[in-house]
Amino acid sequence: MPVVTLYFDRVTSILGKKISKEKIISTLPFIGLDIEEETKNYVNVEYSPNRPDYSTDYGIVSSLQGLLGIKTGMPKLKIKKGKDVIIVNPSVRKIRPFVTAIEAKNGKLDDETIQQLIVMQEDLHNGIGRRRKKTSIGIHDLDKISFPLTYTTTSKNHKFIPLESSQEMTINEILEKDKTGIKYGHLIKNEKAPIILDSKNHTISFPPIINSERTKISKNTKNLLVEVTAIEKNAAEDTLAVIANILQDAGFELFFIKISGANNSTPLLKPRSMVLDAELVNKILGIKISIPKMVSALRKSRLDAQGKGKKIVCTIPRYRTDIFGPMDLVEEVALGYGIENFEPTIPESVSVGQKNKITTTLYSISSVMIGLGYSEVMNLGLVSQRVLYDYTKRDASKIISVSDSKSQEHTILRNAILPGLIDTLSRNIHEPYPQMLFETGTIFLKNNDEIKEEIHLACVSAHNDVSFTEIKSVLQSFLKTTFGLKCKTTTSSNSMFVEGRSADIFVNNKIGEIGEILPEIIDNFKLRVPIAGFEIRLTGLY
Amino acid sequence: MSQVLHPIEQKLLKSLLEKQNLTPEDLCEKTQLSIDQVRRGIEWLKFKELVKVNESEKNFVALGKMGNEAFEKGLPERQLVNYLKSIDGFSCEMSQAKNQLKNEFSPAIANAKKNGWIEIYENRILLKGYHDTAPEERIIKLIASKNPVISSVDEIGDNSTLDLLKKRPEFLTFTSTKYTTVHLTEKGTGTAKNVSSDTADVLVRAIDVEAPAPTVFAARSHPLQDVIDEVREIFIGLGFTEIVGNQTQSSFWNFDALFTPQDHPAREMQDTFYLKGLHAKNIGTKNQISNVSQVHKKGWRYDWKLEESKRLVLRTHTTCVTIKELADSRPEEARIFSIGRVFRNEKVSYKHLVEFNQVEGVVVGKNVSLRDLMGLQREFYLKMGMKKIKFWPTFFPYTEPSLQSMVYNEKLGKWVELFGMGIFRPEVTNPLGIKNPVLAWGGGIERIAMLKYGLDDVRELYNNNLGWLRNVSKCQ
Repeated sequence: MPVVTLYFDRVTSILGKKISKEKIISTLPFIGLDIEEETKNYVNVEYSPNRPDYSTDYGIVSSLQGLLGIKTGMPKLKIKKGKDVIIVNPSVRKIRPFVTAIEAKNGKLDDETIQQLIVMQEDLHNGIGRRRKKTSIGIHDLDKISFPLTYTTTSKNHKFIPLESSQEMTINEILEKDKTGIKYGHLIKNEKAPIILDSKNHTISFPPIINSERTKISKNTKNLLVEVTAIEKNAAEDTLAVIANILQDAGFELFFIKISGANNSTPLLKPRSMVLDAELVNKILGIKISIPKMVSALRKSRLDAQGKGKKIVCTIPRYRTDIFGPMDLVEEVALGYGIENFEPTIPESVSVGQKNKITTTLYSISSVMIGLGYSEVMNLGLVSQRVLYDYTKRDASKIISVSDSKSQEHTILRNAILPGLIDTLSRNIHEPYPQMLFETGTIFLKNNDEIKEEIHLACVSAHNDVSFTEIKSVLQSFLKTTFGLKCKTTTSSNSMFVEGRSADIFVNNKIGEIGEILPEIIDNFKLRVPIAGFEIRLTGLY
Repeated sequence: MSQVLHPIEQKLLKSLLEKQNLTPEDLCEKTQLSIDQVRRGIEWLKFKELVKVNESEKNFVALGKMGNEAFEKGLPERQLVNYLKSIDGFSCEMSQAKNQLKNEFSPAIANAKKNGWIEIYENRILLKGYHDTAPEERIIKLIASKNPVISSVDEIGDNSTLDLLKKRPEFLTFTSTKYTTVHLTEKGTGTAKNVSSDTADVLVRAIDVEAPAPTVFAARSHPLQDVIDEVREIFIGLGFTEIVGNQTQSSFWNFDALFTPQDHPAREMQDTFYLKGLHAKNIGTKNQISNVSQVHKKGWRYDWKLEESKRLVLRTHTTCVTIKELADSRPEEARIFSIGRVFRNEKVSYKHLVEFNQVEGVVVGKNVSLRDLMGLQREFYLKMGMKKIKFWPTFFPYTEPSLQSMVYNEKLGKWVELFGMGIFRPEVTNPLGIKNPVLAWGGGIERIAMLKYGLDDVRELYNNNLGWLRNVSKCQ
């Protein structure tokens, strides 16, 4: 989850009221933030990407103001009329059809504000922007730009100086050589690339990849242009609304930019209204509070609200993209009311609990195996090819792999438990023998592109005098004690077992295999003790 | 009280009664026991204060380079005597002797004088009448005679002469080895006499109840399984019925049904395990699929794809099992729970595994509320022995409102995040025809197990290290 750094001195100045450090820290979890790290001067908080407005300290402080009662109700976005225009060329329609933008003027940027904006941009790209696929953001020095701008497409030989570079590069070069170009190049699928040009034909931005060096912002920048390009119009405006609120809180004056052409339109970033049924609130939360109390709680959650009979009309600022319907407003009431004020209750119930049959059977199986002197071990179902196939010489033709595992040791699903038990023995060579182990668990089989899960039992006995007979005694006794079943064992050949000491196990149908483990396999696992074992399918026996 | 002695102990005592100060090796030879048995027996007897064990050092001496020379040619002083003997008048000038003896002149003169063999008069050396074997010569001869066996210093006995020779460079080399000897204590002598005189016939048949017995290990269930069983019992006790489901699931039930959009980062391969090349054939009823796709299109505004929802995943939570059960049975009231393995494509570390156990419970009811959900948590934790809990708001894609519970851990002295919870979103329940609110909560069981067994590395639970499995106590 994304992380934001909150410096206490900045938080205090944005809050507009002196609040103790302890109070701030203890309030943060109640607006849904997890404290990651706490130091003398700052605290790092993790937020959930469903709240893009928490991507800077401004958005977080806005929520704190509400819960602490410093400022309540919806923060109003004031956007003045502007005169600048972005013209959209229809050629973008099949590539990245939407653009939206706003101007922020007469503000001041210090190092930390710039840092907050950089982190915000990155977080919004990853979350709401779906790694820049859905929306991407460019923040520019407005004074370096001559209007009108054109959002259009260009050939990949188009040249400009990209951000953090000193020389001109073609779009092709950027996609091949630049760090960001390489990372996000896969988003440029067409022959032509989207581009924003100003009236003097300077390149402003190559969305969603990189801005131009020319319009880079610095501490001296006073006026900003924020543009958002997108494949979905609504997402573009949501993103712009989040940034507009943050910049307003940072002290900028906002001005509209007119967007014209090709299904685009000037963003209004207006709040929405939603009606909330007061009864629903009390029912879901299990409380009985009055409508004025609900209204006050909603205002503490930085929404506007007004009682109307048994309903409440809520006004939701555009940046609150996480609010889908009334149930989200119920949560806003809960947060504004204070989670710590809810006294837990126990729902009445006459229901009688019941274990699952598989669970109870597995429990019995386990107790019989323990009675036979075998100890339970637990391995993972997602295992390595080395253990499951290579070391044990098993047939790997029906292997089931997962895509892109981050760990070499966990790349395939097990279709047997026994190999894992031998691996367990190999990790315990320094422990006293005999070692007698069992495991029950799910195994996975592939059949005509369909996957099937079964529950298996496997056990091994490892000591110097181990024999086929010993392990067969265990098998017989296990089946008889657990299920009252008798089994037959017939000669078979199995890649894991010694020829002549290997058998198939039958209870009507074949249910498993039993034998003495091949010395070669024992060697592969660097074990120095003979092993016998069996594995049976439990599914179908109970 | 008469003492019970192990046969090993009896043999050792008998041998020591015959001869004290034996080494363990000596005792092996005498008793015909193995060295391990002897060592063990000595430990037992020492514990009972019947024997004492001395650590001693044995010193050995051999001839050095000069020593060997002296053995062959005689000591310098002997050479001087022999030279004088060969001269008429048994005397010579100092310079003559010096020419003859060269480097060894000085020690020869000094030692011959000390032995009283010569006299010096006006720069002449006169041989006296007495020049029998000197003690040094005797010792050099003795050491040489035993060669190649190295002589022990004790056997030679003449320490003062050895000291004299020690002062002469390269005559002798000394080595030492440590060894132990065992002897009977006064109490031990008495006991040994009893054992030897066969008066203790009855005692011989009894066994030594004080001796440590060999270790055996109890076969047992896995400690993590014990925690899973404990959690299951609590849910049963709270009136919940257990359901189980597959670990491989379609994306539809793992994600789509839970209002997680198809372009959500959690659905990417870097977080979720997809089964290579495998797709679910039947994912749900026509109604279920069409309603779920509608709510996605409306809520998230994107092009929902059936193909995407058919991709098979290793379930990332047990909620897919719960929601399918609720969607298929659509109960008005229910208390169900599910425990099982879930998977996340994470880098394995002390806090993350690719696969772990999760428990999840849901309550469906007409009048259930968030406070009830909190109450059920409190009840569950109380039964697990956790008394101090608090709740914080949080976010999950498929619940609203959502909370997380924090539990105070006495051992660690801090608040620990445990189960997450919430009420299923209308976007989850409405499309599947579930009418009443659904309270849901759950979390990882490994975390509880780690707190219980005091582990700080989650991997230890799956290492199957027998050293731990055999020794960790079951009741904690």
